[in-house]
Amino acid sequence: MKLWHHLNGPHARPFAVLAACIVVLTAVDGGHGQFLSAATAYSTLQTFATISLVTLGLGLTMMIREFDLSVVGMYGMAGCIAVLTGTHYPWLGLWLALAIGLTAGIVQGLLIVRLHVSSVGVTLGGLLVFVGIAFVLTESRSLPYDNLGVALLLNERIGGVFSLRSVIALVFFGGAAAMFAWTRLGRDIVAIGSDRRAAMTTGVKVDTLIIGVFGFSGLCAALSGVLLSYSLASASPAGLSDVIAPAAAGAILGGVSLGGGSGRPFGIAAGALTLAVLRSGLNAVGAPPFANDITMGAVLLTVAVLDGPYLARRLISARRALGA
Amino acid sequence: MTERLPSGADSAVAAADLRWMRFDRARVFSWAQTIGIIVLLAVIFVTPGFLAKPSILSFLTTVSFIGCVAIGMTLITISGNIMSFALGATVGVTAMVFILASNWLGFDFGLVVGLLFGSLLTGLQGLMIGWVRANPIIVSIAALALIHGLAQAFAEKGTIYADPGIFPASVKGKVGGVPIEFIMFVLSALIAQFILSFTRFGRNLFMVGSSFRAAEAVGVNTWRTITGAYLWAGFFTSLAGIMLAVRYDAANMDYGVAYDYDAIAAVLVGGTAIGGGHGSAVRTFAGAMVIAAVQVMLLLRGLRQEWQYLAAGLIVLAVIILQARGNGR
Repeated sequence: MKLWHHLNGPHARPFAVLAACIVVLTAVDGGHGQFLSAATAYSTLQTFATISLVTLGLGLTMMIREFDLSVVGMYGMAGCIAVLTGTHYPWLGLWLALAIGLTAGIVQGLLIVRLHVSSVGVTLGGLLVFVGIAFVLTESRSLPYDNLGVALLLNERIGGVFSLRSVIALVFFGGAAAMFAWTRLGRDIVAIGSDRRAAMTTGVKVDTLIIGVFGFSGLCAALSGVLLSYSLASASPAGLSDVIAPAAAGAILGGVSLGGGSGRPFGIAAGALTLAVLRSGLNAVGAPPFANDITMGAVLLTVAVLDGPYLARRLISARRALGA
Repeated sequence: MTERLPSGADSAVAAADLRWMRFDRARVFSWAQTIGIIVLLAVIFVTPGFLAKPSILSFLTTVSFIGCVAIGMTLITISGNIMSFALGATVGVTAMVFILASNWLGFDFGLVVGLLFGSLLTGLQGLMIGWVRANPIIVSIAALALIHGLAQAFAEKGTIYADPGIFPASVKGKVGGVPIEFIMFVLSALIAQFILSFTRFGRNLFMVGSSFRAAEAVGVNTWRTITGAYLWAGFFTSLAGIMLAVRYDAANMDYGVAYDYDAIAAVLVGGTAIGGGHGSAVRTFAGAMVIAAVQVMLLLRGLRQEWQYLAAGLIVLAVIILQARGNGR
């Protein structure tokens, strides 16, 4: 009983869900060795590298009770910018895309803070503008990236299951977790998400932190976009459902509440890893490609309903109506 | 004026000044929006070829598809739930269901099934959002993923074709030189505006959108109102899907791509507040005309189709900023 309580607690739950997914997929695989193999572990980590950084950025904005829709647009746009400018100098493409991501995020944060508008409105504008720029840059095609050396380098296996790409993602999460553990930052972010006015009264620099979180979110989205485009050796404008659904699902599975004020970087990592395990696991046991979309949609819908602030009230009145 | 006024009077003047400015600011920004739209229309109308007959006809059909989705989106935005990301996918999937049903038991049956399917599909999302107050953005993203996944599962080939001759000729033509799609669009806008202005449901919708808790406190059935808004949104969206299917005798999931974006752009250009509680279907009609006219103009001026996305994005961003400044906060 006590163990159950502990596992169901907000900090352990993401890891419990992750473990449960691995156990179930192993059982489905039934000893064929398709799922529990180094190849699956590698592809899981590759998927993790693709989605986890966007998830971290979006998750942080959700923790302060905002929502950064523009990550999808930034993700695609950054990839296109890096591929267009980075053929001969990969670092130039990377830094340029990161700078644009950070700046765009900060500008959106400034607009939200200065104009007192909902972040969904501002980032919706951002999303459409970034998607538009990506389409204009690529002319609706997929752009080839001719520097194959970079692609090979990013995907080369390290220690059997890792790659440079997944290591970068893991290092980023380590850094964020360290910031949360050893500085006031994490506490302040959670405070802003739980009760913004109270946080302001106790001297948290609310506006600065909101701008910072949006800047970080833009940076994360840009970095994942660049890493993905470099490693696939091509860039194309991203579809909405390809990125925002896994990112939101990952953050929610990682213990970030839709009402703000809860979550931790390692939890978000566990959430993103759960999705990655599901994706490559379903792949390994031979499920059709749409199974992934359906699983993700079902997970998101379930969590959205369970997180609904009126759920308890409705259930009580429904029970009463049935009892009477 | 060399003498300085006493400080009290000074601040009184400053306060009056400020009040004037605040009052004026809302005006200035709404004027800025109006002038922006007028300039835009001027640029559109002087574009060579815009007023030619084929161009006008294609404009009237294009605007109808986006427009019907935008009318539906208006109801969602007014209800205080910002927007839905699933309406574009609903267009595609309703078109497919409509064609399947038409091939089975004829056009009339297909029409009923298509409208019911689209309304219920979106209404169900409204039920979750209204009844347990689930996050509307997350619900619509989940619905988007589910619709795409399920559509792939059921239609492996991707495109579904209508049996030849299944649609009566009368639904494919023009009435008095105007494409039938445009007539449906005008009718949709009028119906939606009637619902908003003259029914109890419409009044409740504005109340729920402007303040959920106040509406609840005065006894409005909030979940029914929100579910109703989504049901109607689904109805108008499925109309767009059905019209596309009739026009092309086929349906696939690419039909509604980017319609959500164009629709929200039209809603915002029409002056519906992104925060809810304020707006009108007739103005969304005008907004959709502006958005579609911009798209046609960009094409006529030789800019590739991709610029349409960027133009829609810049317009949305500008309107959101103008709305926020106009609120004087």
